[in-house]
Amino acid sequence: MTTPILEIRNLHVRVEEREILKGVNLVLPAGEVHAIMGRNGSGKSTLSYVLAGKEDYEVTGGEILLNGENILEMEPNERAVAGLFLAFQYPVEVPGVATMTFLKAAINAQRKARGEGEISTPDFMRAVKEAGAQLNIDSEMLKRPLNVGFSGGEKKRAEILQMALLKPTLCVLDETDSGLDIDALQIVSKGVNALRSPERSMLVITHYQRLLNHIVPDVVHVFSDGRVVESGGKDLALQLEAKGYADYEKDVA
Amino acid sequence: MQQTMPVRLSAAETTLVEQLKAAGADAQAERITVAGLPTRRVESYHYTDLRMLLKAVPPLAKAANEASAPALRVPGAFQLMIANGVVQENGTAPAGVIVGKAKGTALTLRDDVLVHLNTAFATESLNLNLDGKVDPVIQIDRRTEGEAAHSASSARIYVGDDSEVTIIETFSGSNQAHMTNHASYIAIGKNAKVTHITVDLSGKDATHFATNEYALGEGAQLRSLVIHAGSKLARSHVFARFAGEGSHADFTGLNLVSDGQHSDITLDVNHAVPNTTSQELYKQIARGRSTAVFQGRIVVSRDAQKTDGKMMMQGLMLSDEAQILSKPELEIYADDVVCGHGSTCGQIDEDSLFYLMSRGISRQDAETMLVRGFLEELIDPIEQDELREALASVIDQWLTGGLH
Ligand SMILES: Nc1ncnc2c1ncn2[C@@H]1O[C@H](COP(=O)(O)OP(=O)(O)OP(=O)(O)O)[C@@H](O)[C@H]1O
Ligand SMILES: [Mg+2]
Repeated sequence: MTTPILEIRNLHVRVEEREILKGVNLVLPAGEVHAIMGRNGSGKSTLSYVLAGKEDYEVTGGEILLNGENILEMEPNERAVAGLFLAFQYPVEVPGVATMTFLKAAINAQRKARGEGEISTPDFMRAVKEAGAQLNIDSEMLKRPLNVGFSGGEKKRAEILQMALLKPTLCVLDETDSGLDIDALQIVSKGVNALRSPERSMLVITHYQRLLNHIVPDVVHVFSDGRVVESGGKDLALQLEAKGYADYEKDVA
Repeated sequence: MQQTMPVRLSAAETTLVEQLKAAGADAQAERITVAGLPTRRVESYHYTDLRMLLKAVPPLAKAANEASAPALRVPGAFQLMIANGVVQENGTAPAGVIVGKAKGTALTLRDDVLVHLNTAFATESLNLNLDGKVDPVIQIDRRTEGEAAHSASSARIYVGDDSEVTIIETFSGSNQAHMTNHASYIAIGKNAKVTHITVDLSGKDATHFATNEYALGEGAQLRSLVIHAGSKLARSHVFARFAGEGSHADFTGLNLVSDGQHSDITLDVNHAVPNTTSQELYKQIARGRSTAVFQGRIVVSRDAQKTDGKMMMQGLMLSDEAQILSKPELEIYADDVVCGHGSTCGQIDEDSLFYLMSRGISRQDAETMLVRGFLEELIDPIEQDELREALASVIDQWLTGGLH
C-alpha cells in the first residue's frame, strides 16, 4: 500500500490543562477527500490547529504523519512547506500587511524551500488573476491589507485563493462553508473541486451536509468529544443530518 | 526650588565646564557647575537622566579630514554636508535653493541645557533659502569623523511662501564614542508645505543630541519625522510653534532601540494662535535590554480657539527586558478646543504570526512583515518613492540586526 498523505495516530492534546483531543485516529490516503462532522466544541478546530502547528496546544501523546513523516516537531512554516495548508475557520486580519505582498511572500517562501528562484512579477500577477477570477475575487479586494475589512464570505474565498496559489498536498478546510451565501458556496466548491487530484488529499470540516453535495467526500468521520467515533461513506452525512449526534454522546447523561 | 548648593561634578560635567570656559561661555559653565546636568527631577528629562546616562564627554572636534561612507543614500537628492560642525562645499544648487552660511547657531535661545551647549559650540550654521516647488529632495548629511569628538552643528532653513520642499537630515560618521549636538531651525512661510525628516544612524557607541525648531506661518503644512536607529544614547527635542492661523502639522517619530540603547524623543508643541491643528504619532520598538522614551507636550494658548490636536504613542516590545515609556501632557488655556492623547504598548500578535507562518513564511520574515506593517503609517505619507524606500531600508536593516 502507498503511504497515506495524512495519518493521525492516537493523538492526545491538551489546552490549558484540559484534554481536548482524546485519541484521534485517522488515515487519509492520497487523492481522497474526507469530511469531519461533529458538534460544536467537539475539538475539530483544535485538530486543525494542531495539524498546522499552532503553539498553545500541548500534544501529550500520539503522532501526526504527513507523507509518512512525523511533523509534530516542525514549525508551522515548515509544515506548510511540506505541503500542509489550513483554510482557517476564522482567517486572521493582519493590518499593515498588503494582501499581494503577503501572497507573494508565501509563494516565494515555498519556492525557496524547494530550491527554486523567486516568482517573477508578471507570473505572479497572472497566477493571482487566474485564481482570483475562478473565485470571483475582484482585484480591489486584494489591494487591501490582508483580510482587513473583508466580509465573512470574502475571507473564506481569500483562503481558497491562497490554497489554489500554494498548491498544497494536504488541504484542511475548517468550516469553509460557514458564512457563505448560496452562490459563493457554489463558487468555492468549484474552486476546491478544481484542486482535487490523485496526489492531493483534503480534510473537510463542516456542520452541513449541503457542502458535501458539492464537495463529495470519499469518507465521512464523525467527531465526538475529542475523537473519531464513526467513519463511513458519504451517506453517513445524510444520516447525521436526520438524526443528529445524540447517538454518539454516550457519556452525556 | 532652585538648587543652590554646588553639586559634585561628574566626569562628563567636569569636561563640559572646561570646554565651556575655553569657548568663553562662562555663564553656561557656571550653570553646570551649580546645577549639574539635568536629572530625572527636571520634567523634560524625566526618563533621560543626563547626569546618569552621559558618562564622558570627548574632546571638542577638530576639522574633519576624511569621510566615512554615507550612511544613507537617497537617489536623486541634492546633497549638502556638515562635517564636524563645518559646512562643506557643495555642488550646484537646484532651482529655488540658495545655500550659504552664517556664524553661530540657528536656534532660538531656550532654557535647555542641550540648546545652551549647541549655542556655545556651534560656530557656524548652514543657511538654506528654499523657494517654490523644489524638486529634488534635499539631504543634509551631518557627519562626525575621526577620533571620538564632541561636535556641534547647526542648520537654518527658510522656506518661502507657497513653497513645497522635502528635507532629510542624516547623522552618521566614524564608529567612535562621539557626542554630537545638532540644531535645525526651520521657518515655514505662508501656505508652504514642508516634509522634514531626521534620521540618526550614528555608531553604536555614539551619543546623539538634536534640537529641531519649527515656526509655522499662516496656512503652512508640516510633516516632521524623527527616526532614532543608531546611537547608544539619542535624544531629539522638537519644538514647534504655530504662529499663523490655518496651519497644520503632523509630528511623527520612531525610536528603534536594541540591547544597550536609550532613545528619547521629546516634543513641545505650542498652538499659539487660533484655528491650527496637529496630529502626533510616535512609535517605539524595543528589543533586548533597552529603553525608548516619548514625551509629548501640547500647549494651547488662551487665544488659540478651535485648536485640534491628537497625540498617540504606540509601542512594540520585542523582549521582556525592554522598556517603553510615554509621557503625554496637554496644557490647555483656551476653552473651545479638541485635544486628546492615547498610548498603547504590546507585543507581536501571536495569531497574526501563526497565520503568516502557516503559509510557509519563516518566523523572522513574518515578524519583519508585521513590524513593517506596524510602521507603515509613518513611512507611507512620504511622497517620494526613493525617499520612502530609503527609510524602509533603514527599518529593514534594523530589524534584521544589520545596522551596526
Ligand atoms: N486556546 C484555548 N483555550 C481554552 N480552551 C480552548 C482553546 N481552544 C479550544 N478550546 C476548547 O476546546 C474545545 C474544542 O474547541 P474547538 O474549537 O476545537 O471545537 P470545534 O469542534 O471546532 O467547534 P465548532 O464546531 O464550534 O467550531 C472547546 O470546548 C473550546 O472551548
Ligand atoms: Mg471549529
